[in-house]
Amino acid sequence: MNKLALEIEHLSLNLEGQQILAGFNLCLPQGDKITLTGRSGCGKSTLLRCILGFIPPDTGSVKILGQQLTGQSVWELRTRMAYVAQEPELSSGTVQANLAEVFAFHNNRHLRKNLDRVPQLLEHLLLPHTILQKETSALSGGEKQRIAIMVALLLEREILLLDEVTSALDQRAKDAVLAILSRLEHISILAIGHEQDWSAFADHVVDMSEPQGDTTCTLST
Amino acid sequence: MHIIDIDFFHLASGYLLLLLPLGIILWLKVPLLNQTLIAILRMSVQLVFVGFYLQFIFDLNNHWLTSAWIIVMILVADFSIVRGCQLRLRKVATPLFLALAVGTAIPLLYFVVFLLRGENALSAQYLIPLSGLILGNCLRADIIGLRTFYSDLKKYEKRFESTLAQGANLQEALRPFIRDACEAALTPTIAATATIGLVALPGVMTGVILGGGDPMVAIKYQIAIMIAILTGTAITVVLAMHLTVRKNFSAGGVLHKDTFTAAKTGKSATR
Repeated sequence: MNKLALEIEHLSLNLEGQQILAGFNLCLPQGDKITLTGRSGCGKSTLLRCILGFIPPDTGSVKILGQQLTGQSVWELRTRMAYVAQEPELSSGTVQANLAEVFAFHNNRHLRKNLDRVPQLLEHLLLPHTILQKETSALSGGEKQRIAIMVALLLEREILLLDEVTSALDQRAKDAVLAILSRLEHISILAIGHEQDWSAFADHVVDMSEPQGDTTCTLST
Repeated sequence: MHIIDIDFFHLASGYLLLLLPLGIILWLKVPLLNQTLIAILRMSVQLVFVGFYLQFIFDLNNHWLTSAWIIVMILVADFSIVRGCQLRLRKVATPLFLALAVGTAIPLLYFVVFLLRGENALSAQYLIPLSGLILGNCLRADIIGLRTFYSDLKKYEKRFESTLAQGANLQEALRPFIRDACEAALTPTIAATATIGLVALPGVMTGVILGGGDPMVAIKYQIAIMIAILTGTAITVVLAMHLTVRKNFSAGGVLHKDTFTAAKTGKSATR
């Protein structure tokens, strides 16, 4: 069996009196791709925020690349994952300035050389080179999503957490994004996506609306 | 030149002038009547009390008593800021006290040790009004700074989380929020510094002139106090944010939900 990129066991979470996750289990083998589906409010986005250490679960455990997620380990683990939100939050200023800001972080400085790949990635993501000079406030939702995906790819993390990252894209741009992600053989991906494209893209699909059995790792293909 | 005293009878009759603002409030039905009456009452009682107390402290001129009075002033400022920002007292009061103490002490020492230098410089007559001036401005700046800082962190929670998810450490992720809060907090002080003397004759200068001082002496005092205020506010605002972070964020860098008092939490939505 492959080593596990993510190992989530018996995760339960209540937010403001509402049960969001109840004993949820999930295993993501390294290099595999899982798509999470399920009705709105079933905890998909919350699960990603738990994995990133932004919401502490009430019970259960999260292991990332073999390491238990804790308040101390989360800082190192965040440098091994990349997260793209459905509505990415970019700082004010130009796209170029945003890119420079991300790679000025102490943990990312050694990856600055990856910025050389920006022109190539822009092409693959069907974005014009002039977008680098554009103010982030002037970007459309789809452009923001693709810029955020580009940053995630440039960061070369071992795990990608993607939250409906193609929801604002037309079919051509969506195909372009999925084509790039499909080529990432050694990167583990946990994605939220409702469309058929995302189900076809994944090695496994997990419907979070469905009750889980007693198994610690539920993977349905 | 001798200062003209105001006798208590004439001062009391001076309250009649307040009939004008109160009349305006009543006429326009501005919902501030109670607050205005309470503010006038508080101002009068507080100043009479402080007048007697300062007379007592100035006469004694004891370093311990002067220091104790300054500490009381810092404590009052501390509680006012916490209440003004709707933050939890137990999470903010101690680091904020430190920030105010350091931010007041540095410009105050610069003023009395480096500028005034005379043997009377460390007397209560100088230390108390000067620290009050610095502290009053720090209070205003800290309320704006801390309120902007914590409410922006709540408002732009997703942006903050995205930055952390991109590998930023806590200080790196907080930097834009600290920068924006500093801008909001220092802008009024900087604007006041830039327009001083043009819009209004500043308080210290007016005080020195009314006290019979030479206008040139008044100006020198005013320049020194503006430097002290700008320095003090900048130090307290930055320190207040940095020092309060430790108690208000989890080990994983997430802002505690109970940082705000109940009134604030109720208003804001959790994403």
